Amino acid sequence: MKQPKILFLVVIALLPLTLVSCIYGSAQLARGWSGTVVHDGIAYVGTVDGRVMAINSSTENLEWSYSTTPATAPSSGLSCGQTSVPTAIYGTPVADRDMVYIGTYSGEVYALNTANGECIWVYPPKGEGYIGAVVGSPVIANGIIYISSSDGKVYALNTTNGKLKWETDHTLAEKLWTSPAVIGDTLYVSTFDGHLYALSLETGELSDWSFESEAGFASSPVIDEDIIFLGSFDRHLYAIKIGSDVPVWKFPQEKPAGNWFWASPIVNEGIVYAGCLDGKVYAIDAETGEELWQFESQDSRGKPAAIVSPPVLVGDLLIVANEAGNVYVINPETGDSERIKNRENGDEPTINAQIRASLCAHEDLVYIRGEDNRLYVVDIDKREVSWDFLLTIEE
Amino acid sequence: MSFLDVWYLIIGNPVLNVLIALSHLLSGSFGLAIIALTIIVRLISWPLTRRQLKSSKAMQDMQPKIQELQKKYGKNQQKLQQEMMKLYKEAGINPLGCLWPMLVQIPIWIALYQAIIGALATTPENLLDLAHRLYSWDIVNQAIPLNSQFLGLDLGLIGSAQTGGLFLAIIVGGTMWVQQKMTQAPAVEPGQQSTSRMMLLMMPLLFGFITLMVPSGLALYWAVSNIIGIITQYFFIGGWGYLKFRSPFSKQ
Repeated sequence: MKQPKILFLVVIALLPLTLVSCIYGSAQLARGWSGTVVHDGIAYVGTVDGRVMAINSSTENLEWSYSTTPATAPSSGLSCGQTSVPTAIYGTPVADRDMVYIGTYSGEVYALNTANGECIWVYPPKGEGYIGAVVGSPVIANGIIYISSSDGKVYALNTTNGKLKWETDHTLAEKLWTSPAVIGDTLYVSTFDGHLYALSLETGELSDWSFESEAGFASSPVIDEDIIFLGSFDRHLYAIKIGSDVPVWKFPQEKPAGNWFWASPIVNEGIVYAGCLDGKVYAIDAETGEELWQFESQDSRGKPAAIVSPPVLVGDLLIVANEAGNVYVINPETGDSERIKNRENGDEPTINAQIRASLCAHEDLVYIRGEDNRLYVVDIDKREVSWDFLLTIEE
Repeated sequence: MSFLDVWYLIIGNPVLNVLIALSHLLSGSFGLAIIALTIIVRLISWPLTRRQLKSSKAMQDMQPKIQELQKKYGKNQQKLQQEMMKLYKEAGINPLGCLWPMLVQIPIWIALYQAIIGALATTPENLLDLAHRLYSWDIVNQAIPLNSQFLGLDLGLIGSAQTGGLFLAIIVGGTMWVQQKMTQAPAVEPGQQSTSRMMLLMMPLLFGFITLMVPSGLALYWAVSNIIGIITQYFFIGGWGYLKFRSPFSKQ
């Protein structure tokens, strides 16, 4: 009787492992945090169930919805098995003339007609497999759309027909989750292993110059004239002059910040505004790297809350949203801030959902996709959430 | 503070950060970091392991007496159990003592499972979550992102999703069988022999199967832990114990 008892105890002991691993594994499914783009009065946004939705910003009505191909999620927990799940969308759609483009986590790039959501082309074409997961946003220049992918490559596609113009002939990193940036005839790509590469827009060939850092780059590059700004896993923000092997400056200059600079910074009139996962937004002199001011965003309990979304400028105001759902209007010169209050309860965060998606500023409105799968539209003049839209379609 | 907060504070985050720091110290190899962590865990649990080994050795020494009891009370199971428990008590042995090292390691397994998924950040959500769990040590932040490749295995992928996974499952099951076989006394009663044989196979098969379902990094931990266990047992009990390599050509 002794051995069955022992076996029973061991099996009982293994149950928590099974349970925790299943719960933990399934909780980490890729859900996506697509940003929003507004083009000709229509807001285009990716949803958590893998759709692209077009919402009329005047009438607040749905114009159309397009469902991307569901992905197969590999099991990451015990006995959870493979399942078909909606594909996640992380990047912000890009609209150009009468088309809107989006990359998906299942490794496809879609071009949709802005008028009716009809799929004009998909890359790779159906039945021809997938590229690596797309996490960054696409960028368009001279009729070509550039996409970085988790297979470590950059793809250049013709915006009209989706034909491949070029792909990098070797992987630039184990995976590329950042968005590329274009200036002149060069495409810049940052990698998690700490490289900043410059590629020819025309051919995809690597230029002679690249920058290497000891720590990996967490954010996408942002270019202002000949300086590239980007955040690193070593808790610094880097300013790198194109062509130079040494950074112009690293911020903070002494002690590292409280966490990673995950969100891409923005640059305006010689000042860099960088949101950090330590909950602070820093204003930095673009030339010297000196701190001008800092502001700490908070959750409803008064604790610092991470800034995942890049800040945006609306007129002469800086708009910052934190992961806890609070949206702030900040004076970019002084750092003085005002929190936009929740419509129902002033003590609650501005919106009752996490904010991780990129913000979209259009006229006096800021479009924010919350992790509750709603699109919130914040009126900056009135300092209030003007309207919101549930990004779900009942089948 | 919720249970989950306490869990991460006491076990989850320390395991994650130590693992990442070890990875940085070991030339960025996540596989070597797991092996180093396994050695550390085995060292920490050494007092318990030693007690278990002492207990196993004492039980091994008592086998002639147990076999005698089995012959004497073979037909009366209740009496046999009573007499055996009496014998264990007299010798100061806890037959369930061997479970403690395994039970102690279960929180480490769970933390390691979470650490492997978290540290390798297979989804953007994982990577963002990782940022909130890292200590502000330079050594940790400079190690991100980690390289998941080790000896042809992707340590973040489940065993069944890669070619080397089956090989790893065989190693985990095989080493576990050897480790058990070294300390498990063969049953004398014919009725108990099949049960004993089944028990000996059950755990290795179970773990071999689980290996296919969890990230290979965790299976690597099990394999290394078993190998360390075999080596420790070999030196502690002075040989292969009940594991006899018998030539198929030798006479019974």
